[in-house]
Amino acid sequence: MNPFSPENHLLLVILTPLVGALAAWLLGSRGVSAVRQSAAVTTLITLAGAVLLILRALPEVSAGHAFAVSEGPWLVDGPFDIRFSLGLDGLSIWLFGLSALLSVTAVMVSWEAIKEKPVGFYALLLILESAMLGVFAARDVILFYVFFEFTLVPLFFLIGIWGHDDRRRAAVKFFIYTLAGSVLAFLGLLTIVLWNAAHTGTLSFDIATLTAGLAAHPLPMNAQGGWLQWWVFLALFAGFAVKVPIVPFHTWLPLAHVEAPTGGSVDLAGVLLKIGIYGFLRFSLPMLPEATAAAAPWILGLGVVGILYGALVALAQTDLKRLIAYSSVSHMGYCVMGIAALEPVAVEGATLQLINHGLSAAGLFALVGMIYERYHTRSIANLGGIAARAPWLAFMFLLFTFSSIGLPGLNGFVGEFMVLLGSFQRAWGGVAAEWRTPYLTMAVASVAGVVLGAWYMLWAVERVFFGASRQPPAHDHGDHAHAAPSAATHGAHGHDAHGHDAQGGHSGHGHGHAAAEPTDDLRWYEWAALSPLALFVLWIGLFPATFLAPSAVAVRTAMAPGAAAFAARMGAPQAAPHDGPVPQTVQADAILPGAALVPSDPSLTAGLERIP
Amino acid sequence: MTQTSLSTFLLAGPELTLVVAALVAYLGGAFCGLRQGWLVALIGIAAAACWPGMGLEAGSVVSSGPFTFDDFAIFVRGFVLLAGAGLALVQAGDQFRGAVTPRNTPRGNGTCEEAGTFLLLLAGLSLVASANDLVLLFAGLELVSIPTYILLALKRTDAQGQEASLKYFFLSLVASALFLYGLACLYGIGGSTSLAEIGSRLRSGDGRIVATAQTLLPVAVGMVIGGIAFRLAAVPMHFYAPDVYEGAGPGNAALLSTLPKVAGIVVLLRLLALGTGGTLGMIALNQGVVGPAGAAWLTFFWQLAAVLAALTMTVGNVMALLQTNLRRLLACSSIAHAGYLLVGVAAAAAADSTIGGRPFPGPDTSWTATLGGASATLFYLAAYVAATIGVFGALAYLGHRWPEWSAGSAPRPPREEVATIDDLNGLSGTNPVVAFSLATFLLSLAGIPPLPGFWGKLSLAMAALEVDWTAKATPGSRRVFFLALAVILVLNAAIAAAYYLRIVSAMYFRSAKRGVQADGGLGAGIAMLAALVVMAMVTLQPRPLFSAAARAGASIAAPSTIGGLASPSPQTLAAPQASIQP
Repeated sequence: MNPFSPENHLLLVILTPLVGALAAWLLGSRGVSAVRQSAAVTTLITLAGAVLLILRALPEVSAGHAFAVSEGPWLVDGPFDIRFSLGLDGLSIWLFGLSALLSVTAVMVSWEAIKEKPVGFYALLLILESAMLGVFAARDVILFYVFFEFTLVPLFFLIGIWGHDDRRRAAVKFFIYTLAGSVLAFLGLLTIVLWNAAHTGTLSFDIATLTAGLAAHPLPMNAQGGWLQWWVFLALFAGFAVKVPIVPFHTWLPLAHVEAPTGGSVDLAGVLLKIGIYGFLRFSLPMLPEATAAAAPWILGLGVVGILYGALVALAQTDLKRLIAYSSVSHMGYCVMGIAALEPVAVEGATLQLINHGLSAAGLFALVGMIYERYHTRSIANLGGIAARAPWLAFMFLLFTFSSIGLPGLNGFVGEFMVLLGSFQRAWGGVAAEWRTPYLTMAVASVAGVVLGAWYMLWAVERVFFGASRQPPAHDHGDHAHAAPSAATHGAHGHDAHGHDAQGGHSGHGHGHAAAEPTDDLRWYEWAALSPLALFVLWIGLFPATFLAPSAVAVRTAMAPGAAAFAARMGAPQAAPHDGPVPQTVQADAILPGAALVPSDPSLTAGLERIP
Repeated sequence: MTQTSLSTFLLAGPELTLVVAALVAYLGGAFCGLRQGWLVALIGIAAAACWPGMGLEAGSVVSSGPFTFDDFAIFVRGFVLLAGAGLALVQAGDQFRGAVTPRNTPRGNGTCEEAGTFLLLLAGLSLVASANDLVLLFAGLELVSIPTYILLALKRTDAQGQEASLKYFFLSLVASALFLYGLACLYGIGGSTSLAEIGSRLRSGDGRIVATAQTLLPVAVGMVIGGIAFRLAAVPMHFYAPDVYEGAGPGNAALLSTLPKVAGIVVLLRLLALGTGGTLGMIALNQGVVGPAGAAWLTFFWQLAAVLAALTMTVGNVMALLQTNLRRLLACSSIAHAGYLLVGVAAAAAADSTIGGRPFPGPDTSWTATLGGASATLFYLAAYVAATIGVFGALAYLGHRWPEWSAGSAPRPPREEVATIDDLNGLSGTNPVVAFSLATFLLSLAGIPPLPGFWGKLSLAMAALEVDWTAKATPGSRRVFFLALAVILVLNAAIAAAYYLRIVSAMYFRSAKRGVQADGGLGAGIAMLAALVVMAMVTLQPRPLFSAAARAGASIAAPSTIGGLASPSPQTLAAPQASIQP
């Protein structure tokens, strides 16, 4: 038993948060600072372990293999062959890392915000981290489902106990809504398992085996064989669409986000929404290609509707957190669109966009939480001129805003661009003539979402951060009696932060205000929460190939059956001339900064060269 | 028809032990001033569990006189003893407290009678599982019902309690009469009271039997399932449950929501085996053959069970959504769980009702089924009973809450029983262990992974999906029927989560105005913790329970349908030591 073998390494990373939760519980009597320090240490250790694991995994995963595959005999000798089997591959590796990264943020943003029952809060946050890591590492259908459902339980308590005014309704609605969808997905998964068992002779719950089995014996999707594939697809869709959420299944999301504590929002927006898209990529596209192809135009349409609807509703919001929640709906629309385009560039873009949105939405929710902590309001009308008091906070908000609206050079641009590029490719050259107009309309409409996105975000930034100061003076965190020991600590660090401001020579917004002193600026733990996210925002924006290349093979393998089925169903005939606008040949390294780093495997750039 | 000998009594040793313990409790209470009735009950249960012949060799079938001891009977017996110990602890609740402060409780005198009656109930339930004869089946079932009336009447003497016990008594009589009528029809078809005989004639394909069966079988199925529906609290005999549970105390509510349901499911599965053969068929002719009459029996069975399952789940859950009283809510939830259990029964009947041979083989393989409906039902039953005992144990432990009273103004009002969801507000702050346990049990009942309830729902859904697995799903086919049943099952699980979460949310998300007294006594607390330990064990490793349920269910399913599992072989029967062939 080598404790550092890849399999044990993966298992340790998933179990570490649970140990941390136990530690937090044991330290409970020592007070809030001991608990939160132990939680922070745990998440940092987990992150370090996850980063090391990803570094070890990259060579294998880039080649399209799964890494650190283990098969724990869980229920093997019983009637079910369910295994505790874990592993990472190109689809899951970055989401796995994102879960570890955002957990650090979730702990750090709760540093001062959570004073009541800290033991329960941090323990649940750590249990949630473990479940999130498990979802992405699971290689067994039932294990996946167990983690998938179990993420609901800690978040239910996090929202219900530490949330805001309407927290009880939000928690229950979130739970029931997601559960109702996922139980149907559960039936769909069981149907897949049984179909595979009936046709290959072995009852297997292993996702890779099932994928291979369903490729050899596809579920029927025609008049003679029946429409089972279609029903299974709808069942899985019910589960994953609620999770994403795809409009019109999104109504739980704004409520849950607005009422959740900041740490819960960070995990919810950053990771849990991604599980839906991950489910489509993991199950629907490779296992149910014909149904996926048949549903693709409609899902694409729902994605576009989500982009526009989310953006328009966000435009009308008066609550900053609600605005960002609706922007999540809008931005997840791009991921849905990218998946449904079934075009290699678009699907890769969508998987990258998952990470991008995870970073920017988590950052924005964290920042809204920080603003709320300072001024005890999230109403845009009651906020103003924060940039003068907290220039670095404003800077970070702007950074994540730009990331979110897709400013070139930041991560959001790459993902959105690839999704849009793929959609236009699909519209121009990839669909039969009668579908071209709807596809083009949808692609053009989704571009409008980019404009709307910039509009509502920048408008909000302008009202909240610039102009006259409207909010009440910030509450000093030090005045909480029970936080006296820690107040000294972050007081000191706070001075550090102020030092930064002075050196930064801030450009002088709000010189005319009384509160010109940047006294409300980021504290050390807030820096710790935001700076890693900011680092990755820049890193992905400047060198997207670093992140695209490792998942490229896995993504293309996952989507290949769906794309082939789509081409057979409603794709354009290969040699048919088309009357659409003829774009020039697009080279990968011309559009993506750093894309030259993509290995020169022709299959990887095939999608980009498909445009005649 | 069959000879009865000493070995038969030896086989029924655990049941006899329970009866002896019951006599000890009755006589001791009446003549020796014995007060620790529940202690006697626990000792009796422990003694029964230690009976040397308890765990017969796995896969063996021993039949003697009216008894058949197969894996099914052994599983149910062990399960009943475990559940009985838990229920005795819940019932004992305030009695242990009474033992500390003697002669303080007015009802202290009744404990021995209660405990003795309870032991008889357990013995009856265990007999039902091993019955190989219509008469014993009915007698066993009555031995479950009659003690229940007595327990209900003994425990509560106020108007509400009396109403509950009378309501239960009269309705139960009607149900017993229906059931007996069904058994009479079966006797009319089979010409024997022996289940093995009836089964082998049903499956024989004899023309006369088929002709009789055509007219009598639907009546028999309807009457049997109708009568059993009362025990299960399934539609259409469900309406009594909320009133009776509310009127009964937590201990009796725990008993009512577990043991009669176990009895009902056990009887249904045993009678279902008439069509499949199961291990009953091993000792008779025509094994492995279903025959037209047997197929008709199973077909009527699954059709009725499936319709009732769909109705029961939905009605129970919708009713539960409207409740604010805890025991009424749990009564409605227990109705819903009866519906889930019926899904498994229906699947068990449907899986075997295809005439001849293996019902659903893969096109190119020998793969058959995973667990099967009967095993899935037994697994679910175990998960449900453990969680239910835990829930009621916790409620019994909580006992009463502090009355609203400001010192000095008025006489202190009497303490109030914990009855509504609001009474649990803020329990996580005042009684964190109870709140945590209760939340675990409720989430398990809701089927949230990885708790036992989830594994139960997994096996039930799997069993329903497996019916006619390779057939094309054409509208109106049995396959589509069961697909729809599976969908209704999981959607109901989502509905049920809504009201379970209401309780959890009261305990964790609200603050307490008045704390609870936690005066229910040690026994209930121990029962709750024991249930929690069982939950934890099954959560971490459900395999042992799966395997046990699979073996037990294999005794019910037709031998030919058991794919990978070791089905009982005739050799074990031929082993002469304890087996007495009819």
